[in-house]
Amino acid sequence: MSDDLGPTSLDIRPAKAPFWSRISVVWLVPLLALVISLGIAWKSYSDRGELITITFENASGIEVGQTHLKFRDVTVGIVEDVEFAPGLTHVIVSVRVDTEILPYLDENAQFWIVRPEISARGISGLNTVLSGVYLQGNWDTEIATAKDQFEGLEEAPVIDVQTKGTRITLRAKEGGRLDAGSPILYKGIEVGRVETPRLSENGDFVLIDAVIDAPHDQRLTTASRFWDRSGFSISLDTSGVNLDVGSLGALVQGGLSFDTVFSGGEPIEPGEVFEIFDDEQQARNSLFNSSNQSEVSLSVIFDNSVNGLTAGAPVRYKGINVGAVSSLTAFVDNSRFRPRVRLLVNFTVQPNKLGLQEDATEEDTLDFLENSVASGLRIKLATQSLISSSLLLELVEMPDEPSAVLDRTAEPFPRLPSIDAELTDFTATAEGMFERINALPVEELMQAAIDVLESVNAVAASEGMREAPDELIALLADTRALINSEDLQATPGELRGAIGEMNTLLADIRKGGAAASLLTALENASAASVNISAASENLPALVEELNALSAKANTLALEELVTSATSLMSNADKVVGSEEAAAIPGELASALAEVNTMLVGLREGGAVADLLLALDEASAASVKINSAATGLPALAADFEELAAKANDLPLTELVTSATSLIETADTLIGTEDAAAVPAALSGALNEVKTVLAEIREGGAVANANATLASTQSAAEAVEKAAASLPALSERLNGLVARAEATLAGYGGNSEFNRQTLTTLREVSEAAEALSSLARAIERRPNSLIIGR
Amino acid sequence: MEVTGKQANFLTARQAGLVACQACGKLHRPSSAVCARCGIILHSRSPRSLQRVWAWLFAGLLAYLPANIYPMLITATLVGRQENTIVGGVVDLIHHGSWGVALIIFVASVVIPVGKFIAIGYLAISVRRHSTLSDHRRHQLYEVVEFVGRWSMIDVFVVAILSSLVQLDAVATINPGPAAASFALSVAFTMLAALSFDARTIWDRDTDEGV
Repeated sequence: MSDDLGPTSLDIRPAKAPFWSRISVVWLVPLLALVISLGIAWKSYSDRGELITITFENASGIEVGQTHLKFRDVTVGIVEDVEFAPGLTHVIVSVRVDTEILPYLDENAQFWIVRPEISARGISGLNTVLSGVYLQGNWDTEIATAKDQFEGLEEAPVIDVQTKGTRITLRAKEGGRLDAGSPILYKGIEVGRVETPRLSENGDFVLIDAVIDAPHDQRLTTASRFWDRSGFSISLDTSGVNLDVGSLGALVQGGLSFDTVFSGGEPIEPGEVFEIFDDEQQARNSLFNSSNQSEVSLSVIFDNSVNGLTAGAPVRYKGINVGAVSSLTAFVDNSRFRPRVRLLVNFTVQPNKLGLQEDATEEDTLDFLENSVASGLRIKLATQSLISSSLLLELVEMPDEPSAVLDRTAEPFPRLPSIDAELTDFTATAEGMFERINALPVEELMQAAIDVLESVNAVAASEGMREAPDELIALLADTRALINSEDLQATPGELRGAIGEMNTLLADIRKGGAAASLLTALENASAASVNISAASENLPALVEELNALSAKANTLALEELVTSATSLMSNADKVVGSEEAAAIPGELASALAEVNTMLVGLREGGAVADLLLALDEASAASVKINSAATGLPALAADFEELAAKANDLPLTELVTSATSLIETADTLIGTEDAAAVPAALSGALNEVKTVLAEIREGGAVANANATLASTQSAAEAVEKAAASLPALSERLNGLVARAEATLAGYGGNSEFNRQTLTTLREVSEAAEALSSLARAIERRPNSLIIGR
Repeated sequence: MEVTGKQANFLTARQAGLVACQACGKLHRPSSAVCARCGIILHSRSPRSLQRVWAWLFAGLLAYLPANIYPMLITATLVGRQENTIVGGVVDLIHHGSWGVALIIFVASVVIPVGKFIAIGYLAISVRRHSTLSDHRRHQLYEVVEFVGRWSMIDVFVVAILSSLVQLDAVATINPGPAAASFALSVAFTMLAALSFDARTIWDRDTDEGV
């Protein structure tokens, strides 16, 4: 076809253009694109960072490709993979971390998962509720040897690695009051925080890591003391009530304070261990920071009760607390002849409190104690105070005790020997006193008093007592009638005549020296009286005895006695009121007349001389009687004894007997025979009269001389008899004296009367007192117990 | 046109010794350098046409790689942040049950661009080598490629519209990822490649001279 164009069109073929001119400019575009792409690819490869692995317990909320790693809230990495560790024990999270961060990831780096968290310190991680969890990393700002494998923390650390300050370790008895993040205050300013408390290796105490921020850590020296200021404390002393409340945070979360308690402390090294004291006072008083030493555990065995000893009770040595009781247990001791329960008390002592060096080891302490025990150191129980029954352990030195040793091989702890304590148990004494008061027979006493009052009442109210006055009046009326009878009226006349005769007779006697004899007799009688007087000195005592006897008699069955007496009186009344009794005065008058006549006869018959003789004899008899009377004081003494014995006598029976006697007498008097007695008496008097008349008429006077002579001899016999009758006279005298004293006792202002009245008043008062006591007790029985 | 494969039945401008204007189609004498009607430079065949085709095609391919590797759409909402590549987005849509939307995006973003690369590459090769397809078929393919090419931008439009509409600060924000730009570049480069292809060379196969 081109041949057709032939000559017209030359096939002009230009020389081949150079290569570059034949290349289209457009090729620059893909080249550029390639360059850019490669550039981007290289950059993204070089920027994609390094892979690190973090091990976690679980991967809660972590999502591959979505969960970021943040540092100071800037994303520096992303989770690329989550897989299990061999054995499925952990989760390994692979994180792609920016290369510029990588050099900082040394062994100090910490990683934890940020989750929503609500704690005493506040609410944190709330943003993760919507956005999901993220990994938080924290590391210091120094480049060190990089790592690519890390252990993740379970929770956010309280003290992050960037904190500048001094790390210390605190030691406490218990860690319950402190929590992670609890503040450490210095003069009220928060200067540090604590980590979560952990147990020490041997479990004896709690260790708490803490950090004191710079620059406050310069305050820390070896003279610094830490104390717990969790919550609030109240102390009461003479200056009043002291309430110490820390910050609200410390109240909720616990907290510590520290201060320098004395000058001259040395700077500390990081990691120094400090003790946490219970309160500021204790901390300030503590010369030793006993952080470097532990307590030495010891034990002791008691056979007696340890009631009142509790765990935590102090152990004292010469008044200083050197330790505390840690536990109390009982165990069965089979080492003796038979199994028995003994009490094991474990306690701890602080060697420095015992005066040992601060770096004393347990061995040193035990050596010290062993020596002390050898020289008499013992453990004994002692009361904490006078009133309370709380006990404590006391280390005492008893050099006189039998030797004992410290048993270092004892389980669970080395054993110190103990001695028995003499505990004054205040409560037991008080209890005994109350028991005694309780045991008093108050009810029986009251019952007895009530019975007495009822008996008195019954006696007073008895019919016999009411009738007694009537009977008495009737008796008096009859007696008055008897006295007013004519015969009795005539009696004084007769009596006067008889006295006249007697006067004449006495005149004769005076003439015949009888007076001298009588004087002598009277002197003797006087002496006898003196003796009797002396004897009667003993009578007041006797009266007292009798008083007591009367008091006893008071309690006797008087009612029946009164009844009997009343009936006796009524019978006596009848007897007195009888005609025969009325006739008695008449008979008596005539009998006196006869006597009168006979006396006249006597005077005329020289009887006086005989009488003088008789008087001499009587005088002699009086002398005898006098001598006999000298025995009267002894007699009085005997009587006193007798009265005392009578006092002791079973008077109840006596009264019963008396009652029955009186009853018998009553019966006797009430009988017809008794009624007939006056008639018989009257007859007897008639007989007497007749005999007297016969005597007078039958020359009896003449016989009288003989009779007097006989009388003289009789008097002599009497004299002899009197000599032999001192005992009899003694008895008579005593009887008379007693009767006299008794009668005197019943007189108007006599001792007996007063005493009786006093006694009656006292009885009355006693009765009233008992009555009011009874009423009071009836109203308020508890007053007996509470004492009001 | 008849698709019969009988090339001899019609005469090309070149065979007639003339030069056709690419813009208006007016025939000129070979001596003419500039179109008398529209004033553009006349080329019997575009110089270095194939070179430009290949260059744009490579550029488009290079741009298409990051368009598929990097995220197309960065969706930041309150609860999180999501980055979707083109294929990832299609898969997500399928998971959510939006088959239709997924199909549209897949066709527009994957099928069409890849098809264009293949078609343009095939056309460029077939100019120099024998082809199993007839000249007419290849020309039809070229027409289709040139027409469809612009619709690939649908993905970029979606991203552009979403990015400008959804800017609700913290609640929800959609931003175009690096892939959006590279995808747009890739589409542009392939369109340029298609444009650079001088379809008249399809018909020059029987002649010994090319270029």
